[in-house]
Amino acid sequence: MTSRRRAPANGAGAPAKETLTQPQKSAPTSVEDPKISIPPSKWTKILCLSSLLLLPYAYLLFFHFQIDAQLKRSILINAALSAAGFFVTVKLIPVASRYVLRRNLFGYDINKKGTPQGLIRIPESLGIVVAIVFLVLAILFQHFNFTADSSWLVEYNAALASICFMVLLGFVDDVLDVPWRVKLVLPSFAALPLLMAYAGHTTIVIPKPLIPYLGLDVLDLGWIYKLYMGLLVVFCTNSINIHAGINGLEVGQTVVIASAILIHNVMQIGASKDPEYQQAHAFSIYLVQPFLATSLALLCYNWYPSSVFVGDTYTYFAGMTMAVVGILGHFSETLLIFFAPQVLNFLLSLPQLAGLIPCPRHRLPKFDPKTGLLTGTNDGTLVNFTLRLLGRMREESLCIVLLGLQAVACCFCFLLRWLLAGWYK
Amino acid sequence: MTSRRRAPAKETLTEPQKSAPTSVEDPKISIPPSKWTKILCLSSLLLLPYAYLLFFHFQIDAQLKRSILINAALSAAGFFVTVKLIPVASRYVLRRNLFGYDINKKGTPQGLIRIPESLGIVVAIVFLVLAILFQHFNFTADSSWLVEYNAALASICFMVLLGFVDDVLDVPWRVKLVLPSFAALPLLMAYAGHTTIVIPKPLIPYLGLDVLDLGWIYKLYMGLLVVFCTNSINIHAGINGLEVGQTVVIASAILIHNVMQIGASKDPEYQQAHAFSIYLVQPFLATSLALLCYNWYPSSVFVGDTYTYFAGMTMAVVGILGHFSETLLIFFAPQVLNFLLSLPQLAGLIPCPRHRLPKFDPKTGLLTGTNDGTLVNFTLRLLGRMREESLCIVLLGLQAVACCFCFLLRWLLAGWYK
Repeated sequence: MTSRRRAPANGAGAPAKETLTQPQKSAPTSVEDPKISIPPSKWTKILCLSSLLLLPYAYLLFFHFQIDAQLKRSILINAALSAAGFFVTVKLIPVASRYVLRRNLFGYDINKKGTPQGLIRIPESLGIVVAIVFLVLAILFQHFNFTADSSWLVEYNAALASICFMVLLGFVDDVLDVPWRVKLVLPSFAALPLLMAYAGHTTIVIPKPLIPYLGLDVLDLGWIYKLYMGLLVVFCTNSINIHAGINGLEVGQTVVIASAILIHNVMQIGASKDPEYQQAHAFSIYLVQPFLATSLALLCYNWYPSSVFVGDTYTYFAGMTMAVVGILGHFSETLLIFFAPQVLNFLLSLPQLAGLIPCPRHRLPKFDPKTGLLTGTNDGTLVNFTLRLLGRMREESLCIVLLGLQAVACCFCFLLRWLLAGWYK
Repeated sequence: MTSRRRAPAKETLTEPQKSAPTSVEDPKISIPPSKWTKILCLSSLLLLPYAYLLFFHFQIDAQLKRSILINAALSAAGFFVTVKLIPVASRYVLRRNLFGYDINKKGTPQGLIRIPESLGIVVAIVFLVLAILFQHFNFTADSSWLVEYNAALASICFMVLLGFVDDVLDVPWRVKLVLPSFAALPLLMAYAGHTTIVIPKPLIPYLGLDVLDLGWIYKLYMGLLVVFCTNSINIHAGINGLEVGQTVVIASAILIHNVMQIGASKDPEYQQAHAFSIYLVQPFLATSLALLCYNWYPSSVFVGDTYTYFAGMTMAVVGILGHFSETLLIFFAPQVLNFLLSLPQLAGLIPCPRHRLPKFDPKTGLLTGTNDGTLVNFTLRLLGRMREESLCIVLLGLQAVACCFCFLLRWLLAGWYK
């Protein structure tokens, strides 16, 4: 669910989807391709955001911890590759936008309806560019890090196959607009390579306080663990998809969570002596760094006011990537706490999703063209809840507040882990 | 390049049909009984030799045979799923304006029907699900084949993604050419096999070597093979049923070759390589046959670049990982011939029109060969005008002859060559 009204599938004689009158359509605007670029003010904002998120990570990586030189070298090679990916993505998005617009894959920004910006055709599904660059980076990185007989190669390729399949299904969904019931189960199919190749332990460590009651140290869940993995994938993908609708929210929340994942990974590497354990978190870094870099490139265009929309391609790709690293890096519980705002949004949305309360097509806030402010409706989303709590505000401010909430959830997770260390596990 | 005129993105051509509310009405896509019979005949022709060799002619290890049969059962299920899904997907595809008109029916009423494009996506998705599920039945978590299997899946999946993006966004042809190289990367990275080639015995005295380690040159060869397989199927097209038909013939030949190599060899590693190929080609063949049921003359659906790229990649992948890429290239002899015939036009030495299709005469319903450099036109110039369906059968026959010739060549040269 994003802040756009999907363009009518057919040409001029539009059926069910678009019944509103659009005086602009008769004008020859379809021939003219808007030049999509990043204004300097956006560059500054993205730069500030990136520094805020990456500086703690860089500090921990280079100064705070003594990390094995070989490992640090691999991480730096990956970081260099990711930086290259950032610039490639920044260059490719305007090019792809032209092709996407030409094939009528666009939408209108509902949160600008009534202003001139509400009439601009905004290209959709630009997540495909991010995903393809990410996949190329991830594939190329194998050459630098894994030897042909490495045991990690199976999981790495299974991860790539899963992410690639998810991107494929996400893009097919964006193009063909599949029914929502199908949308829900798509991620389970994409998770299959991962589930098949997952050779890790399916045991969970019982929290110390509960051991006397259960009489067990560890519990082998077997296939139930794989079911949990599948459900985690379905949750991560769809929860990002419904916590959306504001310019920059989908990519923004992902970027904050990805930074938190990186910080968590480097902390665990620094705190541990076990090479297998370190390798698991390094594996996560190798996938999240390129993911973060290419997502930042997309954010440069998608931040308020959005020049491109990300599509279900991006939200599915993002959810899958983070679920994959959480599963293969063995930190899925930590990941779920990072996802606390998404969990909250899901719980708030449950009554409407379950049909107990009427659920409109878009559960967006109400936009007032005169003031330019958004007002919260009674829909059950975190976006509306925040607006009802804090009063009307501009779209950009709302996004910043929600990203701030995301960051608070991540910090809370770190605090929780610190407080419970030793007591919990 | 297929026998369809892509729907104009902006709908600027005057089309009197468009004012009528035909866009709301979805054509019901089904398979007439006559098509079922033809596909059944073709399948039997191709699969019976394979079944014979598998069950009767060779004594194959029971465990291996069991795996192959499980895979065959999965593939059969995939066939029926694909047959059911294609009409459903066609409705969605038409709704999003991914259709074309059959140029080889222009001037007749059938030339006005909007034919859904890119149905290769259905085949590819069902194939990927089958291939992923099969891992559960065959490979244990620590199997050494798991890396290559997952790399193969990643490569094929990436190729399908790029092919579908191409179908939707219509990327420039220079980009089209290099797309397969990107998709081949997981395979090249994971390929842990030998990069040596065995020198043909007659040449050993001249070169003084038994085997030659090509190293990175072998990987370059693998990359080029992928680019060739995908694009050569793409340009040997334009007739109803040709893209899928040629693929189905080659796939059957691959299966026969695989089972012959398994039967003739005692080395378990070697057998495993060919079994690996069978595990991917059986579901591929089954889902492609399902597509052929709709794509055979007269086509109810078009396959799109999604299918041709997917097909070329899958066959290149099994050829590489099964270590029989030279055999594969001989199966591809008609495609090689078509590529050579096309070179002057592709290189720009001779003017190259958008579609290098034969000329269709609506009155007689026959196709006449033009002077374009394609195997399709060359065959028509050689054999005279004929109906589209007959032409397709002739070309598929040629494909089968090339495959049989390959088997003959291997039989004749066995022992002498290697």
